[in-house]
Amino acid sequence: MRAIEDTGIREREADPADEEPARGLPRYWLWLLVGAAVLPGTVLVLVGRALDEPAVQAWRTVCLAVVVQAMPFLLLGTALSGAINAFVPAHVFNRLLPKRPALAVPVAGAAGVVLPGCECASVPVANSLIGRGVTPAAAFAFLLSAPAVNPIVLTATAIAFPGSPEMVLARLLASLVTAAVMGWLWLWLGRAEWLKPAVRHAGHRPGHSRWTEFRQGFQHDFLHAGGFLVVGAMAAATFNVAVPRSVVDAFADSPWLSVLLLAVLAIVLAVCSEADAFVAASLSGFSPVARLTFMVVGPMVDLKLFALQAGTFGRAFAVRFSTATAVVAVVCSVLVGGVLL
Amino acid sequence: MRFVRVGLLVLSGLGLLRVSLFTDAYLRYVKEGMRPLLIASGVLVLALGVAEVVSWRREHAEEHAEGHGHDHSGVPRVAWLLLLPALSLLFYAPPALGSYTASRGAPKAVAVVEEDGFEPLPATSPLPITLTDFTQRVQQDTGRAIEGRTVRMTGFVTPVGEGDGWYLTRLMLSCCAADAQSVKVRVYGVAAPPADSWVTVTGVWHEGGTLGTSSAAVALDARGVERVERPVNGYTDALPLPS
Repeated sequence: MRAIEDTGIREREADPADEEPARGLPRYWLWLLVGAAVLPGTVLVLVGRALDEPAVQAWRTVCLAVVVQAMPFLLLGTALSGAINAFVPAHVFNRLLPKRPALAVPVAGAAGVVLPGCECASVPVANSLIGRGVTPAAAFAFLLSAPAVNPIVLTATAIAFPGSPEMVLARLLASLVTAAVMGWLWLWLGRAEWLKPAVRHAGHRPGHSRWTEFRQGFQHDFLHAGGFLVVGAMAAATFNVAVPRSVVDAFADSPWLSVLLLAVLAIVLAVCSEADAFVAASLSGFSPVARLTFMVVGPMVDLKLFALQAGTFGRAFAVRFSTATAVVAVVCSVLVGGVLL
Repeated sequence: MRFVRVGLLVLSGLGLLRVSLFTDAYLRYVKEGMRPLLIASGVLVLALGVAEVVSWRREHAEEHAEGHGHDHSGVPRVAWLLLLPALSLLFYAPPALGSYTASRGAPKAVAVVEEDGFEPLPATSPLPITLTDFTQRVQQDTGRAIEGRTVRMTGFVTPVGEGDGWYLTRLMLSCCAADAQSVKVRVYGVAAPPADSWVTVTGVWHEGGTLGTSSAAVALDARGVERVERPVNGYTDALPLPS
């Protein structure tokens, strides 16, 4: 009985393999089976062990720290941008800002004083300003100046550099000048096609509940910007863990190199603008001008900001804009720092 | 897609609440003052998720009643990345930074004390002192008040790359763990406890260089070492707890 069954099964197995090999088991099915059984387990064990390496643990801690620290400010920014879209009519901004774009740029830059927060908040707000008909040049000036010149950041700077109020003044001036120059540069050279077409922010539509629009805009912006915040935090954590500070300090002696080095450091470390003054103060081996550069570049260009900008305005824009901003910010801080410090 | 959105929001909200409201884990990443902001953020994100569920059900009911579809916008693909920090905060929160970071970073520059800014040291012995205070006393106090005094300090253990002894260490934050800076005191005379363990060390200044100038070694000849619990807020330079 059993023998008959056995042969029957064998025949049934053998048949399809002979006649239509394409539908049978792959040639190395046994290896594949073993691989499928062993591989996930091995990967899990290896990943698990790797996650407990000190370097990986430090990376995860720094990455989470950047995300957790930025989260409240990101929420503030996205809520504000949702509110601007849903509740503020477009003509308000047209009335507040001067008609001529060239004049609107410095006014918008100076208006950055009112947004208390760090750079994560300013990107969604700038985006919603553009959606509400504000000229992009003015919105970009606001985007750059808001995280650097608001009262919280200036107070932090004053606390971090006790007894040198000229540092606060230099930071304020250099940031405002950079923001205005970038706005004018956009008026001169900028092209609308670099911007990702933003169809989402149509503002308030008649017949829809403003609260629902607010909630949906807020939610979408938060998910979107939050994802890019994670990208930026990962990049910043990688540099933070991979480049030890002692390497950085080796460059402190040369005045020009140190300015450039701290500019690069501001970009890759992606320290929150409310904290960068304390970090700058701790870089005691560097000249005041180099430290000013660190504080001017940091809030305007850094890895997490780049990720946020690329997500919001498009990569074509973010690459050009960040590069130009970095150059302008370094030049402005060297000029302002050279006069004041 | 709505399911994903709700999931992301709810998980992120719960993750934030877990580390800020239900546990002290947020202290591994940011400073103490962030707690109210983090709790508010957690509640807000959670509320966004709940509101999404409510409007989902309402629209579902309307759809059945009116029989027409609604405009469902998708989830931005990059938003999926929010899962990583959310799940990490919920289930697998990494520990606070420790000896790995301290051994790589340049030490924090200790603030300069005014010429006559040093108060006379209290007479208690052993004298509880912070690592920063000890560094200032050793390198800046021209009155050499620390000379011959027995002091007690608490910190965690960082191994020394080469040479004798080990470092008693504290990490301090300006804003979040991304800008942690260390202050270290080298400890001689006692075998190094395991890295990252928290200890209270009793000892006297280890002679080296001229006391009261920057040439003085920030080091201690230990008389005793005891293991202590990790303080709740490890990123501060606090006095040792009375034993």
